[in-house]
Amino acid sequence: MTMPYLQFNDITKTFGNLDVISPPFSLTIPHHQFMVFLGPSGCGKTTLMRMVGGLETASTGMIALQGEAIGEPDSRRGMVFQSYSSFPWLTVEENVAFGMRFRHDLTKTEKRDRAQHYLELVGLSNFAASYPNRISGGMRQRVAIARTLAAGSEILLMDEPFGALDAQRREQLQVELRRIQKEERKTIIFVTHDVEEAVYLADRIIVFSQRPASILEDIDVTAQIGDDRLLELRESPEFLKLRSSVLHTVRAALGSTQ
Amino acid sequence: MAQPGRKTSPRLLALRRPLPSWVAHGIAIATCLALLILWEITVDLGWTNPIFLPAPSTIIATMWDMSVNGNLLPNTGVSIARVAVAFALSAIMAVPIGIAMSVYRPIGAGLEPVIDFIRYLPVPALVPLSIIWFGIGEETKIFLLWLGTFFQLVLMVAQDTDRVPHEYFEIASTLGAKPLEILRLVAIRAMLPSLVDNLRITLGWCWTYLIIAEIVASNSGLGFVIWTARRFMETSQVMAGVVMIGIIGLVTDQLLRRLHKKMFGYMHS
Repeated sequence: MTMPYLQFNDITKTFGNLDVISPPFSLTIPHHQFMVFLGPSGCGKTTLMRMVGGLETASTGMIALQGEAIGEPDSRRGMVFQSYSSFPWLTVEENVAFGMRFRHDLTKTEKRDRAQHYLELVGLSNFAASYPNRISGGMRQRVAIARTLAAGSEILLMDEPFGALDAQRREQLQVELRRIQKEERKTIIFVTHDVEEAVYLADRIIVFSQRPASILEDIDVTAQIGDDRLLELRESPEFLKLRSSVLHTVRAALGSTQ
Repeated sequence: MAQPGRKTSPRLLALRRPLPSWVAHGIAIATCLALLILWEITVDLGWTNPIFLPAPSTIIATMWDMSVNGNLLPNTGVSIARVAVAFALSAIMAVPIGIAMSVYRPIGAGLEPVIDFIRYLPVPALVPLSIIWFGIGEETKIFLLWLGTFFQLVLMVAQDTDRVPHEYFEIASTLGAKPLEILRLVAIRAMLPSLVDNLRITLGWCWTYLIIAEIVASNSGLGFVIWTARRFMETSQVMAGVVMIGIIGLVTDQLLRRLHKKMFGYMHS
C-alpha cells in the first residue's frame, strides 16, 4: 500500500469553550486532487485548510503530508487569499518572483525563467512591470496563483480566492485554475460557499455542516461529470443535476440546526 | 448636465468638485498675497503701532539685515543641526522598538504602559529636570527634543505595524520566508508609506520643543535669537526669527511630501 499524500487524522479544534471542529475529523487527500471544501460561512472549513498551511494548530489530532506531521509554514504549502493577495509595493513580476528569494537551489537565470514561465501560464506577461493597483482584481489573483506556483508549492490552499470578483472574471479564472491545476499537477484545497463554483472546479467536494464542522457528504465529482471541464459543461444535464443535489445537501445543512 | 428649471451650482463651489492644480496653487498664492498686502496697509496707514506689529516689508528687510550683518544664519544652522540630531536619534530608536512592540507581544505588553505614562508628561515641565541632569549644553536640547518625539513616534510605529494586513505575514510565511525576512521584506515595506508620513509629522513637533529648549537654556539657535530680540523690544527681529522657522518647516514638509510621492509611486495611481 502506498502512503497517503495528505491525511487529516482525528482533528478537533476548540477556541475557548467553542467547538469549531467536532467530532474528530479525518480525511485523506490523494496527490493531484482538486479538493473543494464547501460549507456555510464560519463553519470551520477554513480553519481546517489553514491547519494544512501551518497557520493554525489543531487542538487534538494531526495532519500528515507524505507521512510527516505538518509543522511551521513553508513553501510546499502556499496560501492564496481573497484580499491583500499581492504585495502593492512590488511589480507583478517581482510579486511572482518573491517566493524564490528564499530558494538557494536556483540560479539567478533559473529564477528569472521560472518567473517568466509562470507569468505566461497565468497570462500576465504583458503586465510584468505593472504595480498591482494598476491591474484588475482578477489579475491580482492570477499574480497570487503564479507566485505560489513559482515558489514551488505542491499544495495550493485557496481561501475563497475569487469571492470578490464579478461573475465573468470569476468564471474565466475558474476555467484557468482548473487548467493550471491539471497542467502543473498540483494538489489544491479550495474553500468556497458557492455551489456552482465547487461543482465546476472540484475533483471531489466535501460538504461541511454548520459549526462545529463535520463532513456531511463526500462527493466524487469526476465520477459524475468527468475530468474535462469545458465551459459548456455548466449547462449540461449532468452538471445541473449534480449542482442541484449538492445545493440540497447544503440547504439541508443550514436547516438542520435552525 | 444642467437640468431645465434647476439652477446649477457655481463651478468652483460644487460639493467635492476636484480643483485643477494650477487653480489650487493660484488661490493659495493669492490668499497669501492678499493677507500680506492687508497687513502692510494696516501698518502703513498707522492703524497699528509698528513696535507691536511691524509691516511685512520691515520684517523682510530685518531678515536680510540679520542674515548679512547679524548672525541669523549661523543660529539657524545650529537649530537645524539640533533638530536633525535629535530627530535622527528618535527615529533610529523608535522604528525598531515600535515594530518589536507590535510583532512580539511580550515586548509590547512590557513597554506600552511605561511609554503611555511618559508620553503624557508635558515636555516644558521636564525642562528644569533636564537642566539639573545635563546642564545647559547640547545634551539638554537633544534630550528634550528626543523626549518630546520618541515616545509619540514609537507608538505610531507600533500602530503602523499593527495595521499591516495579517495576510501579508501569512502569505510570506507560506512562500518560505523566515520571521526576520518577513519583518524586513514585508512588514517594513508595507508600513513604509505611513512611517514616512509619521516621521514628517513628528519632525514638525521637534521645532516646537526646540524653541522651548533654546529659550530657557541656550545662547545660540533661533529660539535664543527670538528671545534676545524680545528683551530689546525688537519686534521685527522676533518676527524675522519666527518667519525663518516657518520657512524651514514649509520647505522640509514639501520636500518630504515629494519624497513620499516619488518613493511610493505605486500607491498614487
